Amino acid sequence: MRSVVVTGIGLVTCLGHDTTSVGEKLRHLQHGIVRHPPFVGDPKIPISVAAPIPGFETSSTDPEDWTYPADLRFRLEQLRGLSPNALYAHFSLTRAISDAGLDLKSISDPRTGLYTASSGSAMMTHYNLSRMKKVGPQRCSPLGIVSSIAGTLNFNLAAAYKIRGSTSGFVSACASSGHAMGFAFDEIALGRQDRMVVVGAEDFTEETIAPFSGMRVLSESDDPDTASRPFDKNRNGFVGTGGSVTLVLEEEEAARERGAHLYARLSGWGQATDGYHVAASHPDGEGLARAMQLALGNAGWKAGDVDYVNAHATSTMAGDISECRALKSVFNNGASPAISSTKALTGHALSLSSIMEASFCLIAMNQGFIPGSAHISDLDEEAGGLNILKESVDRTPEKVLSNSSGFGGVNVVVALEKA
Amino acid sequence: MTTAQFNEEEIRDSLKRCPESAIEAAVQFASTRNPDLIPAIVMGIIERFVEPDVRPVLREGNDQIRLLEDLGIDSLLMVEIVILVEETLGIHIENEELRNLRSVGDIKEYLDAKIKGLPIPTGHNILKFEEIAAVMPHQSPFLFIQEARINGVKAEGTYHITGDEAFLEGHFKGNPVFPASLMLEALGQLAVLLMLKSENPAFQGPIKADSIYFVSCDGVRCHKVCKPQDIMHLNVSLKKIHPPMAQFEGTILCRGSKVAKAEEISLVFEFERDESTAGS
Repeated sequence: MRSVVVTGIGLVTCLGHDTTSVGEKLRHLQHGIVRHPPFVGDPKIPISVAAPIPGFETSSTDPEDWTYPADLRFRLEQLRGLSPNALYAHFSLTRAISDAGLDLKSISDPRTGLYTASSGSAMMTHYNLSRMKKVGPQRCSPLGIVSSIAGTLNFNLAAAYKIRGSTSGFVSACASSGHAMGFAFDEIALGRQDRMVVVGAEDFTEETIAPFSGMRVLSESDDPDTASRPFDKNRNGFVGTGGSVTLVLEEEEAARERGAHLYARLSGWGQATDGYHVAASHPDGEGLARAMQLALGNAGWKAGDVDYVNAHATSTMAGDISECRALKSVFNNGASPAISSTKALTGHALSLSSIMEASFCLIAMNQGFIPGSAHISDLDEEAGGLNILKESVDRTPEKVLSNSSGFGGVNVVVALEKA
Repeated sequence: MTTAQFNEEEIRDSLKRCPESAIEAAVQFASTRNPDLIPAIVMGIIERFVEPDVRPVLREGNDQIRLLEDLGIDSLLMVEIVILVEETLGIHIENEELRNLRSVGDIKEYLDAKIKGLPIPTGHNILKFEEIAAVMPHQSPFLFIQEARINGVKAEGTYHITGDEAFLEGHFKGNPVFPASLMLEALGQLAVLLMLKSENPAFQGPIKADSIYFVSCDGVRCHKVCKPQDIMHLNVSLKKIHPPMAQFEGTILCRGSKVAKAEEISLVFEFERDESTAGS
């Protein structure tokens, strides 16, 4: 099995668009959550806060109305097939490739693949289907499907960047981008590909976020400074965000040979399922605990080796408890690693969260700190015995686990190690 | 032909990224249905869908501009253009009718006929080499048309000089150049193809392929040479027809410039006749 490293990070997030600014915000626990006028102004939606992505405006169903940074220009026929998440992904991908010291042409080759994760675009699906019901399919944009269904990321990006290796998308809700990273790791470790571009993205729209309010899992708090507070006793749901993050994974020897900067080694991963409920996590975090054990085994680590765990914890009542129990069951022998949930600062990015949080781990490992778990005034009792950081610490984590859980009780854990 | 009634606001909204001239024309067209407004509307809609750096090309107003090669309009973008044109002009366009619209001129001609309720100009089909060889009395190694389009009383065709043509070895030695006489021959052959494939009433009936012969030419000029790997773009159009004679004019373009012109090529021909009436 070959060794896999991360050589590039591209960010389009509510905390910023480059590793320096994002690192600052993580270290100093500065969140990106605001009172979001479209939610505040709608009496049917009981939520008021969200974490938008600065520099982008994508509320229109017509891509030509969107605003985005000037460093990328799109041909009309490309633009018209995009959904907001694909738009963000174009930026995160080009930034990641540049960060890895590669040029875009070099990723168009049979040994470079693209794995993606997003839930598609609820907004574009809704718009295109309503229009179809009203005027018939012949009068609808012929690229409607391409911009709507889950897979919109891989369709658009594989075409735009002329990807010729392995391409696929992963659809496991909030664990999707974890799966994308894990299976991308496998492609390289098993010798099928030498380089994998892994892209997670999610729309930031009412259509994507508001349904969770109907599920009664979104925070109805109107205070952006405290709404997202994983592990706090008074947490009351998560906050929505979107954006895109791309990681470039490469076979380690080849990466070293070309003088690439190595953020970390992706040492392994594990996945396991709760077998419990379509939306709620197993009360004891049974699947998550096994996923962590499998990740440790795959990486060749013992529980005691782990310095930091970036928890999935979304700030929901039940979910955070499951995670606490899973962590206690894995780290049951003496000292707990440092633990935090960066969702306090970003909110929950759904399909994007796993890879976004992995990128936060990489930033922390490279900038020499462990981000705290913000907004905790009263720690939940279940967290007793766990070293949940309320403040960031200036210590470089060497071995890190990043957790993600999704609908259906899926759990994916990725192991990252300083290279 | 269905007519959708649009008020001015709706028109302005659906044409919102088109040039103002197109929007004004569309608003007027909604009440007058004057076919003369169509070019402005359609050009404006096409302009809205092409890349900004290509718009100056479009504005030149040249009807020969090709949708795919010159404007980058692929089939999906074409669908979007068609949807907007349908909405604005209140007409319905069949996919079949679209297949053969290759240039700006084609579109204008097509829509003009559509609005006036005239028959759609047919014969916009592209003929591939096999179809050409099947009807022509000429054949390899003396057939100098690889692909052609018949357009009523006009035809265009292409011939790619491969460099393997036998006569190039002797013309000239060490310096292969496509002979001027064969440039004239190619134009004449395209005229023959036009006579055999056009359904335009000007030709008055099916023509017998093996009856067509060259009679005369006039005003033939060659401006530039064509060499191996060049693609010659041939164009002919019918000038006059009084059976048994038909007169054409033709030009050859290569690499964007005119390389040859024939003001007059005259051919003699006979119509296809029932065997039993032969000789009458």
